[in-house]
Amino acid sequence: MRDLAIFLGRRLGGLALTMLAVSFLVFLTLEFNVEGVAVKVLGQFSTPDQRHAWLAENGYLDPFLLRYLRWLAGFVTGHWGTSTYYHEDIARLIAPRLGASAILAGAALLVMVPLSLILGVAAGAREGSLLDRSISLIAIVTTSIPEFASAVFLSAVFVIGLGWLPGVSTMAGGFNLRELVLPVSVLVLASTGYIARMTRSSMAEVMNQPYVRTARLKGASPARIILRHALRNALITPVTVIMLQIPWILSGVIVVEVFFAYRGFGTLLYQASLNADVYLVESCAMVSVLVVVVTQMLADLIYVRLDPRLAAATGRKP
Amino acid sequence: MRRGEMGRRDFMRTMGWLGVSGASAAAAAGLAACAPARPKASRDTLRFVCAVQQMTDPALTTWIEASNLFRNSLEFLTEVDADNITRPFLAQSWRPSEDLKTWDFILRPDVRWSNGDPFTAEDVAFNIRRWIAPGSKSVNRTAFAALRDLEVTGPHAFRLHLDRAVCSLPEQLYAFTCPILHRDFETRGGDWPKNPVGTGPYRMTDFEVGRQASFQRRADYWGPAPALARIDYVDLGTDISTHVAALAAGQVDVLYRVSVAELDLVNRLPQARLIRQQAAQTVVMRMQHDARPFDDLRVRRAVQLAADNAQMLKLAYRGFGAVGENHHVAPFQPDYAPLPAQKRDVAQARHLLTEAGHADGLDLALTIGNTQGRFEQDTAQVLQQNLAEAGIRLHLKVLPASEYWSVWDKTPFGLTYWSHRPLGVMALDLAYRSGSAWNESHFSDPGFDRALDNAMARLDPKDRARDMAGLEKTLQDQAVMVQPYWAEKFTAVSPRVRGYRAHPSDYFRMDKVWLADA
Repeated sequence: MRDLAIFLGRRLGGLALTMLAVSFLVFLTLEFNVEGVAVKVLGQFSTPDQRHAWLAENGYLDPFLLRYLRWLAGFVTGHWGTSTYYHEDIARLIAPRLGASAILAGAALLVMVPLSLILGVAAGAREGSLLDRSISLIAIVTTSIPEFASAVFLSAVFVIGLGWLPGVSTMAGGFNLRELVLPVSVLVLASTGYIARMTRSSMAEVMNQPYVRTARLKGASPARIILRHALRNALITPVTVIMLQIPWILSGVIVVEVFFAYRGFGTLLYQASLNADVYLVESCAMVSVLVVVVTQMLADLIYVRLDPRLAAATGRKP
Repeated sequence: MRRGEMGRRDFMRTMGWLGVSGASAAAAAGLAACAPARPKASRDTLRFVCAVQQMTDPALTTWIEASNLFRNSLEFLTEVDADNITRPFLAQSWRPSEDLKTWDFILRPDVRWSNGDPFTAEDVAFNIRRWIAPGSKSVNRTAFAALRDLEVTGPHAFRLHLDRAVCSLPEQLYAFTCPILHRDFETRGGDWPKNPVGTGPYRMTDFEVGRQASFQRRADYWGPAPALARIDYVDLGTDISTHVAALAAGQVDVLYRVSVAELDLVNRLPQARLIRQQAAQTVVMRMQHDARPFDDLRVRRAVQLAADNAQMLKLAYRGFGAVGENHHVAPFQPDYAPLPAQKRDVAQARHLLTEAGHADGLDLALTIGNTQGRFEQDTAQVLQQNLAEAGIRLHLKVLPASEYWSVWDKTPFGLTYWSHRPLGVMALDLAYRSGSAWNESHFSDPGFDRALDNAMARLDPKDRARDMAGLEKTLQDQAVMVQPYWAEKFTAVSPRVRGYRAHPSDYFRMDKVWLADA
């Protein structure tokens, strides 16, 4: 238990250091040039006098390090400031957008994870078979198509061609499952193949292990061999990949969210960058890093659960 | 008009300068019978794709999109319509003095605010005084720099005193930052979306930046009732292909804008009708006169001579527009003066470069922000090829759109998008007068300034065109810019939409729009 606490402490310490380093880089990039900040906040038509007055009013004439520490203290205590574009409290702005992205991510993972695991296991259990080759080929093709291309393709077919699905997913009239179909499909197409191939190679490797051969010789059924003996060990690699997909879907699917006008965290970050909303970009960047670091910490905990060797190292029983 | 010496548009335009209302002018011209019948008030809701931006103080707005929302509730003293004709609006007439330095305005007496208050000259005085106040942050302070004082001369009359003649005053009063707010705007919080009082035909009922804004028809509007019961503005982000997909799926009725890249797709869609509009919008690749190597006229001339404006229009904007003449006055602006065509001459460009000491060629960098779309960079790429023929190695420095506005008036060689101005003289006054706030080329010529003053002192554009010829020629001779073309505007609507017209400045009015039965 003590080892687990040390393990978690180390991870949390790493999280804090990473956040600190990123916060400094973000602040340096966005706020080093104070004149640029004034133009972004007051607009391109503001006069030099107006900019100077604004900079003085908002403490921008103080030394850089002092401004950084003041901003960091504000961020840590939940005072993230006001968005210059939305004119709203940033923390209140980010929360629902993160929730909307979580819904999209959840729906995508709900389809993506079982589908990719089934395809990967089916392919890996019969390595070299026609099924394996077909799944591998489809996986390579879908993985190599970027999201913007599959989004255009699916829209052309299902929105403009057949007229079956809505073209945008604004959820303006409340939650609408039909509006989720296309963005989820694009995400599933982009990632399923990759996870399936990871699962397949991991499964194929496990299926050649002596303990699987022993189980087969003992007369265990193929289903029992896969479910009881092979699957758990074969899951370690796909779990890593799946855990990496979570931050990607939450904060990295800007292309999909923007294309379908889905009001998630990705669109918020995109709009913030587009409108030079300095404070919102800073907060979004910090939240993105937090999501990545926390997901990786969760992934580490799941490894411990799945891999007895790691469990022993942290003092936990497998 | 009957003798055929003046067209309908010219007649209406002339009546407009004289401050005669559209209805009176149309009646005088016998055009009333030709006007389309206004449809009855319906229960229809129209869905309009448009960025929903903050508009706390409409006089501080920096984007036209926001003005298209408040234009449903807030009105202006004048109107420049889709035909680029200036008409009376809240001001029912005006009369300038001989020297154009004193303007008397008469307001409509029958206008009421949505809170029931009568609209008076005090409302106008409140607005104009805050625009030009020393601490004003509004762009109106620069635009109305010549305005010295306002005098209320009656309950529905006021007088403006100017330091110098400004013939474009009625047009400037329709700039998107000039809506007339209630005189209590500041005392009631100074946040218009929170207290959306207006004189316009719609009342704002819902507003969330980045999501949606809704406007409901007012039953007590002072003018004719509009047809649409409700207008919903939906923010679908900046990707126009997403807007087109929403139109194709029947999720929206009107798109704010379509770029030249989507034209073929829109033309093929049965659910879309393309609308085109000629406009004096352009891209200007200006060279700063006080920055090396552009402080040498020979270098600027070489760049201008090597540029192929017709090719830039054809390749970067697919030919949708008119070729520019390097002086920032459009052939369809009423005060345009035609000049002899400039010929491309690469050999002469090389000769000038050699004379200027650049026999081995010259390295130049052009800053671009693609603020209106990718066509800006495409234009620069064509220029890059044009200049290469003369031995100029042009490097393109592409910035994100939002970054460009930090450097637009600082970079020695930059490509800037300029939106439509109703009169040519307005663009010249803003961009090329010595020391003007938006003079990005740093061009300075006292003779030009004097000629500009003369032009600004003539009310009739036909008279003004004589001065304009000299101004245009000076800008060409001084090689201030490469101004390759005038770009058309495009938008798309559902086939059900009727009465909708694109506007050269994107200043849309929705009170004459209706939806046909499905």
